Amino acid sequence: MERSSVRSMKACAIALLICAVLLMTSLSGCVQQNQTTIKNPTTYVRYDIGEPKTLDPAEAYDSASCDIVNNMYDRLVTYHGNDTLHIYPSLALNWTVASDQLTWTFHLRHDVLFSNGDPMNATDVKYSFNRVITVNSPDSSVAWILEQCMNLNSTTIIDPYTVQIKLTNTYGGFLALLAFSVASIVDMKTVEANGGIVANTDNEWMKENGVGTGPYQLDHWTHNSEVVLAKNLNYWGGWSGQHVDTVVVKSADEASTRILALENGDADFAYIPYGNLVDINNKTGLFTVQEPSYNVVLGLFDTVSSNKFMADKEVRRALSYAFNYQSAIDDAFNSYLYRLPGCIPKGMPYYNTQNNGTSVYNYNLAMADQILNQSGYLRDFNFKGTYYRFNNTAIRLWYNSGNAERQKMALSFQQALTDLGINSIVSTEGWPQYLNRMYHTNEWDFMFLGWMPDYNDPDDYIAPFVGSAANGGDTFHTGWANASVDSYINQGKYTVDPTARAAAYTAAFNIYINDPSMIFIGQETYTRGMRTWLHGYSYNPVLEYYYYDYYKA
Amino acid sequence: MKTWEYIVRRLILLIPVIIGVTIITFTVSHVIPADPARAFAGGPKAQPEAIAHIRAELHLDEPLWKQYFFYLNDLIHLNLGKSYLENRPVLESLRDYFPATFELTMVAMLIAVPLGIIGGIISAIKQNKISDHFSRIIAIVGYSLPIFWLALMLQYLFAYLVPILPLEGRLSVGMVPPTTITGFYVIDSILTGNVATLSSSLLHLILPAFTLGFSTLAIILRMTRSSMLEVMSADYIRTARAKGVPERKVIYQHGLRNALIPTLTVIGLQFGALLSGAVLTETIFNWPGMGRFAANAVLGLDFNSVMGFTLIVAIIYVIANLIVDLLYAMVDPRVKLGGG
Repeated sequence: MERSSVRSMKACAIALLICAVLLMTSLSGCVQQNQTTIKNPTTYVRYDIGEPKTLDPAEAYDSASCDIVNNMYDRLVTYHGNDTLHIYPSLALNWTVASDQLTWTFHLRHDVLFSNGDPMNATDVKYSFNRVITVNSPDSSVAWILEQCMNLNSTTIIDPYTVQIKLTNTYGGFLALLAFSVASIVDMKTVEANGGIVANTDNEWMKENGVGTGPYQLDHWTHNSEVVLAKNLNYWGGWSGQHVDTVVVKSADEASTRILALENGDADFAYIPYGNLVDINNKTGLFTVQEPSYNVVLGLFDTVSSNKFMADKEVRRALSYAFNYQSAIDDAFNSYLYRLPGCIPKGMPYYNTQNNGTSVYNYNLAMADQILNQSGYLRDFNFKGTYYRFNNTAIRLWYNSGNAERQKMALSFQQALTDLGINSIVSTEGWPQYLNRMYHTNEWDFMFLGWMPDYNDPDDYIAPFVGSAANGGDTFHTGWANASVDSYINQGKYTVDPTARAAAYTAAFNIYINDPSMIFIGQETYTRGMRTWLHGYSYNPVLEYYYYDYYKA
Repeated sequence: MKTWEYIVRRLILLIPVIIGVTIITFTVSHVIPADPARAFAGGPKAQPEAIAHIRAELHLDEPLWKQYFFYLNDLIHLNLGKSYLENRPVLESLRDYFPATFELTMVAMLIAVPLGIIGGIISAIKQNKISDHFSRIIAIVGYSLPIFWLALMLQYLFAYLVPILPLEGRLSVGMVPPTTITGFYVIDSILTGNVATLSSSLLHLILPAFTLGFSTLAIILRMTRSSMLEVMSADYIRTARAKGVPERKVIYQHGLRNALIPTLTVIGLQFGALLSGAVLTETIFNWPGMGRFAANAVLGLDFNSVMGFTLIVAIIYVIANLIVDLLYAMVDPRVKLGGG
C-alpha cells in the first residue's frame, strides 16, 4: 500500500474519531439536570399550542382566545377554583330572580375600575351585552350564546349599580351563560373611542387590544409567539397576598420544545400530549396534572348514510356493543380517558341523570352478534370462504389525519367488526376534507369527533348532540331525530327547576341511548405538566386558567 | 444591454411568473373537496351564519374561474385577502413573519457562506489531507443529519444540559420587542439603541441559524471544493504558476473567481429555499416566521394564506436569481447580461 494512501486513511480515521467523540459527548453525558431555582419568580409562563384568534369578548369563541379574555375582563358571575357546580359573584355582588323566572336583577360592585382608571357601572354592563348582540360577530357567531335568552331590549339600567335582565324565555343555564367569556364587561368609553359598535362587523381594534376590569391587562401580543399580560394595578380584588405580576402564554407547536422548557424551568406549565407524559413523570420539580375534562370523545353514526342498514337502530345498538371501550382507554389514550355514559360529562350538573353515571353499552361481541342475528343481518355472504353480513358491504370508518388516538380506535373497531363478520374500511383525510365529508355527503358510516364546552350547562351538550336539526341540534349531521327527545331537551332548557330539569334529561337519555346515533366513548383526562414551584393552580373545565390565583414559591 | 435595462426586463418577467404561480396554486388548493368555511368558523361548533359569511367572503359558491377572477382583482389592489386561521389580513401576517424568517435566513447564510467557501477552498488546495477529510465529514454530516434531529440535539445540549443559550423564541421571556421599524429585531434594537433586546435577539438567533445554515454550509463547501479542483487543474492556472505568480494570487484571483460561479448559483437557490422552507427550524425553535405560518395554512387549507406565501416565495426566487445573475457578471467579465 502506498504511503500517501496509508496517511490518508489515518487522517480519515482521526477525523472520524473526533466526530465520534463529539457525538458521544453530546449524547452520553445525559446526566439528568433539573432546574431547582425558580426562574422568573414573579412571572408565570405557560407553553401551549395554538394562539388566540382575537382578544375581543364579542368575538372570542376558541379556547385560546377565551383564556386571555377571561383574565383581562370580568363577568357578573364566575366560578371559583375547581368548583363547577356553583356560581359565585364577580362584578355582581348578588342577584335575585323574580317568580316568573324571567326577570333577573343584579346589584353591581361599587369599587370597580377598568385598567385605564374608568369606573365600571351599569351603563357598561348594558353596553357590553347589547354590543355582543349587535356586533353578532360574523366570523365566530358567538353571540348565539347570549341570544338564546336575551335581545337588545333585555337589559335595563335601574340605577348606576343595578341592572335588570328580562329574558326572552326562561333558561335553566342562564347564569352559566353569564360566566362565559362572551358576557365579559367592556369599557364603553374605550370601545366608542376605538371604532364603537357597528352591526354585524367585528371591531378591529378590540381584536388586538382591550380595556377590562380583570386582574391582568394586555402588555403585548406577538403573533404565533406569545401573549404577555401585566397585572392591572386598578384591579378591584387588590394585590395583597401572593400573585404573579406577569403572565406569558407561549404558542409552541413542538412537544419536545415544551417538555424541555418545562424541564429547564423556562415553563411553569405546559401542554404535554399523553404519549409524552412518560418523559416528565417522576422527575424532581415536576408534577403532572390529571383531571377529568369536559372534552368528550364520540363515535358518530350516519343514520342517513348511503349504506341503508345504518338507518336501523338495531345495527347501531349492535355496533355500540362491538366497540372496545377498554382498548380505547388503555391503548389509544394511555389510560387518560374516562368512560362517558351519555351526553353529559362527569362534573357537569345532571350527570347522574344518565343511568346514574353507568354506561349502558360495554364491549360484548356476543351481544352484538345476537342483536344482528335477531334483526336478520346474518352472516350469509360467502366471500372466499368467509361469511359476511350486509352482503359484504363495507362499513366506512373515518378519522381525521394526524389524530393518533382516533387512528388506534378505528383499527381496533375494524378488528371487532371483522370478528362480527362485518367488512369495514378505515380511511383518513385532512380536517377540512373530513368536515366536508361529514356535512356535505352521506359517504361515511362512522366517524370520530370530539366536543369541548362553551359553558357549564348540560344543554350545551344534549341539544347539539341528540337534538334534531329542526330543533337546532344535530350538530354532527348524523341525521338522527326524535320528537320526544326534542321535547325533553326543550323542557330541560326552559325551566330553572332542578327537579324538572333532571326528570327531562333522564327521560331523554332513556330514549336516545336505546336508539343511538353515536357511541359515547369517553371523557378525556386533562393532562398538563407543571413545576412544583407553581402554586394556586386548580383545574376548572370551564374556567381553565385564572392567573390571579397563581404564585411561585 | 445596460445593467438597469436588464434588471427592469427581469422584473417585468415577474408578472407572468406571478400569474402562473397564482393559477397553479389557486387551482390546486381549490379543487380539493373540503369545507374550509366550516373549519375556519369552528368545525362542528360553527354557526350557520358564520359559515355563510365566510363562504360569501371567499366566494366559495361561485364557479372556480370566477373565484380566481375575484382573487386576481384583489391582488391587483394589493389585497391578499384574509387569513382565517389568524383572523387578520394575510398582508399583516406576512408583514410580521417575513422579517423574522428573513433575519433568521440572513444569519444562517452569514454562517454558511463564508464557512462553506473557505472550507471548500481549503479542502481543494489540501486535497486528501486531514483538513479535506475533516471537511468531507462535516459535509456528509451536514447533508445527512435530519434538521429536526440537529435542532433537538442543539436544544438539548445548549439549552438544557449546558444552559448557555436560549431554548426558543426571538427574545427572552416577557421582553417587549423593539419598536418596529424594519421588523428585524437586531436592526430595530440597534436603531432604537436598545442594548438588552439586541443582545437577547442575537443570542436567540444562534441555535436556529446554525441549524438552518448547517446543511447549506455542507452544500456550499462541497460545491466550492469540486469547482476549485476543476479550475485549479486548468491550463491557465498551470500557466500562471509557471509565470511565477504567487500561489495565494493563483488561488484567490485566478482560481476562486472562476470557481465561484456554480457556488453562486447554489447560494442563490439555497437562499430562496431557506426563506421558504424553514418550517422545521421555526417550529422547533418556536420562531414566529413564514415557515410555521405556511405549514399551518396548508394544513388548515387557509387558501389566502397559502396563496400569499406562495407569491412571496416566487418573488423571492426571482429576485434571488436576478441577484445571482448580476453577480455572475461581476465575478466573471466574460458573462454578458441579457446574452449577446
